[in-house]
Amino acid sequence: MEKEGDLMQGTLDMLVLKALARGAKHGYGVAEWIHESSNDVLHVEEGALYPALHRLQLKGLLAAEWGMSENNRRAKYYSLTAAGRKKLAEEAEYWRRMSGAIARVMQTA
Amino acid sequence: MSYWMRMKALLKRKELDQDLEDELAFHLTMREEKNRERGIAGQEARFAARRQFGNLGRIREACRDAWIFVSWETTWRDLRYGGRALAKNPGFTAVAVLAVALGIGVNTGIFSVLNGVALKLLPVPRADQIVSVDQAFHGKVRRNVHGEPGLFSYPEYKNYQTNNHVFSGLLAYAPFLDATALGGENPKQLMGAEASCNFFDVLGERPALGRAFVEEDCRAPGASPVVVLSDELWRTQFGADPLVVGKSITLNRAKFVVIGVAAPGFRGLDPWPSAFWAPVSMQKALEPESDFLNEDNTGWLALLGRMRPGVSLEEVRADLGVIAGRIDRQYPGRTTALVIHRATFMGRPEERSLVFSVGVVVLAAVGLVLLIACANVANLLLARASSRQKEIAIRLSIGGSRWRIVRQLLTESLLISFLGGTLGSLVAFWSLEGIARYVLSHLPHGAPELMWNVSPDLHVWGYSLGLTAFTGIVFGLAPALHATRQDLSTAVKGDSGGIIGRKGGGKLRSTLVGLQVAVCMVLLIAAGLLMRGLYLAQTVDPGFEMKGIIQAQFDLPSQGYSAEKARAFQRELMARVAALPGVDQVEQARVTPLSHQFMGTGLTVGGETQARAFEFNVVTPGFFAMLGMPMVRGRAFTEVETQSAAPVLVVTESTARRLWPGQDALGKTLRGEDKKEFQVVGVVRDSQASHLGQTDGLFFYWPAGPNEQERLQLLVHSKGSDVAATNGIREASRALDADLIVDVMRLEDNLEDWRIPSRIVAALSGVLGALALLLASIGVSGVVSYGVSQRIREIGIRVTLGADGRDVMKLVLRHALRPVIIGGVVGIVACAAVSQVLSGVLYGIGSHDPIAFVGVPLFLLGVAFLASYIPARRAVLVDPVVALRYE
Repeated sequence: MEKEGDLMQGTLDMLVLKALARGAKHGYGVAEWIHESSNDVLHVEEGALYPALHRLQLKGLLAAEWGMSENNRRAKYYSLTAAGRKKLAEEAEYWRRMSGAIARVMQTA
Repeated sequence: MSYWMRMKALLKRKELDQDLEDELAFHLTMREEKNRERGIAGQEARFAARRQFGNLGRIREACRDAWIFVSWETTWRDLRYGGRALAKNPGFTAVAVLAVALGIGVNTGIFSVLNGVALKLLPVPRADQIVSVDQAFHGKVRRNVHGEPGLFSYPEYKNYQTNNHVFSGLLAYAPFLDATALGGENPKQLMGAEASCNFFDVLGERPALGRAFVEEDCRAPGASPVVVLSDELWRTQFGADPLVVGKSITLNRAKFVVIGVAAPGFRGLDPWPSAFWAPVSMQKALEPESDFLNEDNTGWLALLGRMRPGVSLEEVRADLGVIAGRIDRQYPGRTTALVIHRATFMGRPEERSLVFSVGVVVLAAVGLVLLIACANVANLLLARASSRQKEIAIRLSIGGSRWRIVRQLLTESLLISFLGGTLGSLVAFWSLEGIARYVLSHLPHGAPELMWNVSPDLHVWGYSLGLTAFTGIVFGLAPALHATRQDLSTAVKGDSGGIIGRKGGGKLRSTLVGLQVAVCMVLLIAAGLLMRGLYLAQTVDPGFEMKGIIQAQFDLPSQGYSAEKARAFQRELMARVAALPGVDQVEQARVTPLSHQFMGTGLTVGGETQARAFEFNVVTPGFFAMLGMPMVRGRAFTEVETQSAAPVLVVTESTARRLWPGQDALGKTLRGEDKKEFQVVGVVRDSQASHLGQTDGLFFYWPAGPNEQERLQLLVHSKGSDVAATNGIREASRALDADLIVDVMRLEDNLEDWRIPSRIVAALSGVLGALALLLASIGVSGVVSYGVSQRIREIGIRVTLGADGRDVMKLVLRHALRPVIIGGVVGIVACAAVSQVLSGVLYGIGSHDPIAFVGVPLFLLGVAFLASYIPARRAVLVDPVVALRYE
């Protein structure tokens, strides 16, 4: 079932938060950012992003606002709330420790 | 925050949906443009965007689910959809709803009866604060018991009352006090209670008229002859006289002044209403033969306490436990365990365990009926689900999640169960009053009026609601899971003309039918056993003669008779009765046979150290001859022995066998508690003089001497008509003492009291068995006719190929009856186990009664055959041309 590059649920949330760390983006922008910054390794099924965005918004981690896009279309822009920023910091820290630990385990032997 | 947003979302559905559409459309457009930039041309750019995006429908749904109150929104949608589906198929809906209504109605009804009898809190203000206190002794116990063994003595009550830290008040009362009231035209038998003087205060009950007791009333024994009347007694005895306070009423020959009338809703603390309350200090006046107030070790009082606010049951148990431990120190080797819980009717441990054991059996029986109903509805749903296979398959194949469809189907089944549950419960509540009245009017002769509030309360509604929801899930889950686990391609193609026995749902359906038959078998055999028990009870030979014998029962000591006065009364009464025309024999006995009064004592067999428990009766010499109980060995008492109270006794045959196997019982001795030795002078043939259907207990007779006179009853044999003798005895006793209540009836009438419990049980089980049979036959017939309709094409082919009607019939019946027979065998085996339990409850019944175990299965098989034969005939009449075209 698991294909290479598939994302676990929690990881997707973290990536979304990270994508918005530098400012508001619409959903398409978030998808593009994940693609580009992962050098196209992570294949996010683009649609899966939206339930995640809405969930995070409902949790109060994201705020949403309708605005005009760079090519003058109505688009929904997401940005981090204070809670979202805090969550991102926690997740990043947790990820750093986990990946470090896993890397160490994989290197031994 | 999130709730607020969701609330808004619920109200602004349209706007939100539009926003979502815009957002997703924006993404797709952006991606399409990007694809064009990359050089993908024309339509392909859009398709690529869609592919990259994934399943649009599912994502849309996922986003919506995040927003809305998933449960509310979709439930509402499912409900509407389910409602439409049910309305479209009214026949199916009606049968399913009725089956559920029957099952739930019976369960709710029985539960509200149990609730009314044993679970409701007492009908007093803030009843949740009231706890009942009972005790059980372990170790070396010597105690006098007046009533039930868990009751307290007066000094014990005072000890708990003064030394506890958990109650704002602790009351004591002696329940079930028999009293003869004078003042009306005839003396009247009442049941009242002696109560501590804080009785009404602790309960928070204010009398409707006059006053309740004050502490002064309980200060000195015998000093305050005052009484509070129940509303009912006030109406019947005093014609609802508003000036009743200050008037007097005679209770057990002592004069009492009425000080108050209880509020109409208050009828005491037991299911049997109390007619009056007198202070405990008046115990001796009401029961002249005993003086309990100063006895440390005589239990006669029930205790109820009102907990202080904020005190928990645990704290009550701990606090009173300390006091119990202190009391135990006076009785080395004895430990007292207190039983404390929220006070209800039937709250004392003996009553509680009785209600509990009866309740469990009855609830299990009605639960089985419900199970059959569930299996029925599950089968109907299965059949329906397969006719909706196409719809479900299409929904699954276009990406509907299985869980969503299961939930949809469950909503439908819950809808059915709620419709049925509501209908059943309402009918149950509505008809219960009538049923309760019927049962109450068929209670044994002389049983006091039972007050029975069966009206539903929160417990009952909760039970009914929970049961309904549970039922809906039980019968809905298997069909729903089954319906959504299908092979999509064949289902969509609509290939529903399967081969008999190979269809997926067939197995589940047959299992359900088998289950129904098994459960039905258990219920029917149990009902059969009960009915047989009833039949045996009505025809059982108690082993002694009852014809032409009249019993006269009266209670002299409570009416203030001294031993001497009692002797004179008995002598005079016997002389007058003996002179009545037709009367040829008059005898005396402490208890009359089968009168539900039991005397017990401990005797030590010569050569043993441990006393054994015996039942006994005290009788005059002619008793044995009158009742046709022949002496097997030795002789009956002589006149001289009765007059001189000689230390002799007569034992029953089985007692002699058990105590002295292989030896001659004559001349053997038994030692009483006071070391007095009694010699066996006779062995009488076994009979069921004490318990109908039982002869095994250790039983002996003592001679009725002059010291026994105050407690003896009369047995009169008459050659003439029973009515004349009965009236004659009544008149003779009235002439001697008009104020004495003498209960005169035929000895045979005692049998009736033994039969009534099993008659009620048999009626109930008969009704349940009939219900079960009805439901199960509907189930069998439904499944067979569904099977036939599903296989019309196959049957058509067979007929075309030369099968005749008998072959077709055989084929259909074989498949229909296989689960019936398997289920039946399982049921018989299960019932063999159940009947072991039942045989303990019912006298005279073998747990392997052949008539029930052979007759019932044959009967059930016959009904199942009929239930499958009728739809199977349709199969025979199938026209092959029509059948082959049938889709």
